Amino acid sequence: MHPKRVAHIAGFELVRLFLTKRGLLSVGAFLICWLLILRYPIAESGTLLSSTEFAGFFDSVFGAIGLSKLLTWAESELAVYWLIALYSFPSFCLFLSSDQNVGDKQRGTLRFLTLRASRSEILFGRFLGQVLILALLILFTLGATLAVLSFRDPSLFATALPRSLSLFAYLLISVLPFIALMGFFNTFAGTARSAFVFAVLFFAGGGILVSLVVWQIPALGFLNLAFPGYQLDQMAGQNAGALLGIGLPLGQTFILLLLAQRVFARSAL
Amino acid sequence: MSSLISASGLSKNYGDKLALDNISFEINEGAPVALVGPNGAGKTTLFSLMCGYIFPSAGELQILGNKPGSRQLFGQLAALPQDAQLDPRFSISHQLTFYGQLQGLSKSEANKESERVLELVGLSDVLKQKPMDLSHGMRKRATIAQALLGKPRIVMLDEATAGLDPIHAREVRELVSALSSEATFILSSHDLSELERLCGQVLHLDQGVLTEHSAQSRVSDNTHFFTLQLNQSYPNVEQVLQQLQNVNRVYMSQSKEYVVEYQKSDSAFDISLLECCHEQGWQYRQLINGHTLENQIFHKR
Repeated sequence: MHPKRVAHIAGFELVRLFLTKRGLLSVGAFLICWLLILRYPIAESGTLLSSTEFAGFFDSVFGAIGLSKLLTWAESELAVYWLIALYSFPSFCLFLSSDQNVGDKQRGTLRFLTLRASRSEILFGRFLGQVLILALLILFTLGATLAVLSFRDPSLFATALPRSLSLFAYLLISVLPFIALMGFFNTFAGTARSAFVFAVLFFAGGGILVSLVVWQIPALGFLNLAFPGYQLDQMAGQNAGALLGIGLPLGQTFILLLLAQRVFARSAL
Repeated sequence: MSSLISASGLSKNYGDKLALDNISFEINEGAPVALVGPNGAGKTTLFSLMCGYIFPSAGELQILGNKPGSRQLFGQLAALPQDAQLDPRFSISHQLTFYGQLQGLSKSEANKESERVLELVGLSDVLKQKPMDLSHGMRKRATIAQALLGKPRIVMLDEATAGLDPIHAREVRELVSALSSEATFILSSHDLSELERLCGQVLHLDQGVLTEHSAQSRVSDNTHFFTLQLNQSYPNVEQVLQQLQNVNRVYMSQSKEYVVEYQKSDSAFDISLLECCHEQGWQYRQLINGHTLENQIFHKR
């Protein structure tokens, strides 16, 4: 693979999102949603979580669902951000990265590209482009949360910054297998919509199937590891170790990209 | 002349359907090569195989000594695949600049190169426009422009003039003719007269089977041909022409068109033929030295 060509392809993905009308509309919708999230759950969290009136209630609820560690954070805005971002970014990224190659394949534009870059370069370039987009969006929302937090209590900024960087890294690693999964579906789906449908079927249908199998044969519980996001519940409460929080999504990403590369290399354009 | 493309025993199946049946050919550097055949004959399949979009079921195909689709061919092999479209969300120059950069040009070089190729196809004034803002013909010319980026050694154009008005189709033909010293063009088209004018070698595909022809008519040592096209139908043309000296046989290849097979001699047979037309009061439209490509392919007699 030629790194320069991969970089050009990845860079073109950024242009596609931030400089086209359709891309800007998606970014606009995303920003409006996050504006509401910042204004209400995140901005109000400081008052609510530190209130003695609700302390007992939150202790029991968060404790019951394994999130009690989050209550110990002085930066309560970051705790709420973490919970919302950890579950919303993977779902958003399924939608955002649903058209990595399939639109170009349908239109024939991919035929122009494959005369100038290898299929692997196109696949990894597009994947990298999506990762960059998600990284920018996570950074933006995290920056806004930091601003809200600093507005409430500027003294918390010093401790919130390193925590934010750690959350950024975990969030970005968590979305990688979701982007890779959509890249894989893009290698054989007919449209972006059908790639998205494949993803829904994979998570819903596949989830039910694996649950049934594991119910009958508990030893096959490892099959759950095939699903991106398996570790999210553990991560939400900061209870996941490095192997689960970092190793699993990186491993899933590697396997999904490898599968996508194999299928894409053999598919007719 | 060095070999650019060589195929040996190439076959392609789509399920039970045999699209290409054990074809072998060689294309050398030089004059444009025509790929002709009816719809469904396997032309686009062969184009797709040469570009590496699909893979052969059997046989071997080498482009400049490499497998189709290999990175050594980036920038060396350019193509206008049938029905392929540019991305409607970006301006033409933006996309062509991006392609140029992928071919290894710097941003400014790629910019200049995209302007140059768009000028070649007469689209200098719309380079900042998006494909959707252009007419079908202009979009087609923009896709032809992408095939001219850089200095490709092989340019494959699948139905390049389909959908273009006569003026722009002519411009594309002139462009191919002008650039044919810099690159070897492989053209597919249903317009045989267009291919006849441009090409030397002709690859004819029919039901996946390949035959080769020469666009400059087939001439054996002793037997020569003229193809006479008349303006209107006249009675007894074949009989009258048959009376001319050294004529072996005459047949009507299609309406108002006659093929005259004659034995080469010292006398100028074409002059005799034209004198005969004059004497009979026949208005002729065209006298072609040899067979037309159409007759070579479709009227084997």
